[in-house]
Amino acid sequence: MTRYLLRRVPSAVAVLWLASVLVFLVLRAVPGDAASALAGPDATPDVVAAIRHDLGLDLPVAEQYARWVGGLLSADLGRSYLVGGDIADLVADGLANTLTLTLAALLLAVLVALVLGPLWAVSRGGWLDRALTAFHTAAVALPTFATGVLLILVFGVVFRLLPTGGVPPGGLLDRVDITAQYLLMPAVCLALPVSAVLTGFLAETLRAELRQDYVLTALAAGVSRRSVVFGHTLRNALPVTMTALGLQTGALLGGAVLVESIFAWPGLGLLVEQGITRRDYPVVQVLLMLSVAVFVVIQLLTDVAHAWLDPRVRLGGAR
Amino acid sequence: MTDSVLTVDGLTVDFGPTPAVRGVGFRIDPGEVVALVGESGSGKSVTARAVLGLLPGTATVRGSARLGERELIGAPEPTLRQVRGREVSMVFQDPATALNPVFTIGRQLRTTLRAHRRLTRAQADAEAVRLLDLVGIPDPAARTRHYPHQLSGGQRQRVVIAIALANDPRLIIADEPTTALDVTVQAEILALLRDLRDRLGTAILLITHNMGVVAELADRVVVLRDGLVEEDAPVHRLFSAPARPYTRLLLDSVPRLGHRPPATPVTTDTDALRLTDLVVTYPGGRGRPDFRAVDGVTLRVGRGEVVGLVGESGSGKSTIGRVAAGLLRPTSGSARLLDEPLEELSRRDLRAARARLGFAFQDPGSSLDPLLTVAECIAEPLRIHGVDGATHRIPELLDAVRLPATHATRKPTELSGGQRQRVGLARALALHPDLLVADEPTSALDVSVQAAILELLADLQRDLGFACLFISHDLAVVDSLAHRVIVLRAGKVEEEGPHDEVLRNPRADYTRRLVAAVPAPAPPLTAASTH
Repeated sequence: MTRYLLRRVPSAVAVLWLASVLVFLVLRAVPGDAASALAGPDATPDVVAAIRHDLGLDLPVAEQYARWVGGLLSADLGRSYLVGGDIADLVADGLANTLTLTLAALLLAVLVALVLGPLWAVSRGGWLDRALTAFHTAAVALPTFATGVLLILVFGVVFRLLPTGGVPPGGLLDRVDITAQYLLMPAVCLALPVSAVLTGFLAETLRAELRQDYVLTALAAGVSRRSVVFGHTLRNALPVTMTALGLQTGALLGGAVLVESIFAWPGLGLLVEQGITRRDYPVVQVLLMLSVAVFVVIQLLTDVAHAWLDPRVRLGGAR
Repeated sequence: MTDSVLTVDGLTVDFGPTPAVRGVGFRIDPGEVVALVGESGSGKSVTARAVLGLLPGTATVRGSARLGERELIGAPEPTLRQVRGREVSMVFQDPATALNPVFTIGRQLRTTLRAHRRLTRAQADAEAVRLLDLVGIPDPAARTRHYPHQLSGGQRQRVVIAIALANDPRLIIADEPTTALDVTVQAEILALLRDLRDRLGTAILLITHNMGVVAELADRVVVLRDGLVEEDAPVHRLFSAPARPYTRLLLDSVPRLGHRPPATPVTTDTDALRLTDLVVTYPGGRGRPDFRAVDGVTLRVGRGEVVGLVGESGSGKSTIGRVAAGLLRPTSGSARLLDEPLEELSRRDLRAARARLGFAFQDPGSSLDPLLTVAECIAEPLRIHGVDGATHRIPELLDAVRLPATHATRKPTELSGGQRQRVGLARALALHPDLLVADEPTSALDVSVQAAILELLADLQRDLGFACLFISHDLAVVDSLAHRVIVLRAGKVEEEGPHDEVLRNPRADYTRRLVAAVPAPAPPLTAASTH
């Protein structure tokens, strides 16, 4: 397994390098100029030029790139144009909030999929089948900004049950019950499309597994239908579902940007959004690279989990 | 009547408007082996599954199946669950898929044991070891910790049988228990089943299409056809004096070893195919060594000669077939197809050379494009190689494989398995190939259909004179067609010679074992005296 992981390292490095080039070039291609945005509408060309020189934006693009990557490699994430602070500090501040939000959403999505997936797999043509199909379609199709606004409207404005946004005033760890109230809506909003995709995937995989011969063997041995589904097929469906989950973390990372802006959740997503609107390139670059890195690591973890769950991978192929 | 294990009476199963089983009745006495025999679609598997209530929800089941005094048809699920695995258990066809791949052997045995008995984990473990020992698995305690994929096919089927035996059932329903296995392994499993019946007195309902297996194991035979019982007779009477014409047809269709007069050897110096020291390796996955599928094979097929390539699974016969068809390049050694060296041919030359090669596949269902008509399927090679007048050739080709011209406009899915294989042959022969590679072309077919296809193939070969590399695991099929036979084992040639010598007086030890393992389609005479 260690050897297998080591073999994956070169491709992971290649992905990160390619991503760094793309991120860097795409941000340079975005219309608008960071220096003039910083200097403000009334600044003289001299001032803009001075700022540009100050930020190193007058250097050739290749050199700018080399400086940036060199900094990353020596653990210097650079400084924000606007806030002026160290990006490392900005990231550290937002990271805890974003981790809390995405992990809550991930947990929620997995729980929903584990409950609804098997139910959907065994309900064929009944009312439950139709209800779950409707849920699945709606949850996949509704964009996050629509569900977010709807949730705020219903639970925050009309019924006034939950706070409409922000983080608990005393911090996340102060009172868990209050944190839960603040966390609930953004987490549901973020989890909804992911849980629907996972539920659909798990149900489809389970249906395929239920057609396998070993299911008939178990039934013929007198094992009950329920333990066939939960004991036998679910365990077989997990490795592939794990892989699907790994791919869905990409959707979670992307969704976090929208959800954090909708619910004014001060995490990395909000930071990205602000960085883009204010042309704060260094911040955006680092955050995009961070999400690529997280995605690469999660893919590696997914493979490890897959191997661990499937003895055919873990103990070598069939003879 | 009351002492029978299972009494089936007037059993009828419908899937929507189509009846699958129409009033089937038979009985099984304690310790008796009853074979349910029939071709595909005869309703034999459906009958067995209906008894245990294991059919999908779309099936309607009527009639009666009594286990002792208890009625099983229409019984509630909890009652059936008590019966399944406790009083009646099942063994399925393919042990590779019948076991759950992610659980250890021991765990799967324990699940079955504890579904019916109150056992502690330690007791269940001990019982699992005893059962594995009972079915002849060496070092059973260590094996309980293994996963299915770590066992060979024969061992897996022994585990499936151990699971079936777990709760000491009165009846085992074995649905094609040896069909997915090699002949030598099949012989072992049949011996095991016979031995278990003798030692434990368990009755067996054996579902099979293989008359050889019936002759080896069954006491009584129930022949099914289109969901109806054709004949129900003791095994000796069935084989010696079948009462019904259909039973006779079934028995006559079974290819037998050594029934064909020795073929006149083909003497020609021109080669259709010549392989010299052929080696083909497949890369091993994840750090494992490469797999040598073919390990230094030298063989020759002369123009107009039919060479049978036989071997068990993993012997490399299909890999050689792929090289012979120009689909796979050798890792080392040389392959000359119709006097052209395969390793020197460019992609374009190879495509031109393929015009002189025909390929017939095992499964006609999946090797024909379901969206094309029969005529389009047959015309495809003609079109690809730019032959004019393809449309004129279709009726002629259909006629050659004895299909009516009206079938040209049908889709492959509207045809039966045998008809599809005829279309496959017509396609393979469309370009008048000099060499036909046929990889198990009849093993997906029923015996009566197989007999017709083999006869057709023999006639076509005689008329058109193409050379043929005929690949099969079935020694009797090869014996009925080939001039010469080559026996493969683990990628190496074990024996080679005229068909009548190799298959009737084998010199190599391995060939002798292979021939001995083929179940004879007649019950052993020694047992006859007991009936």
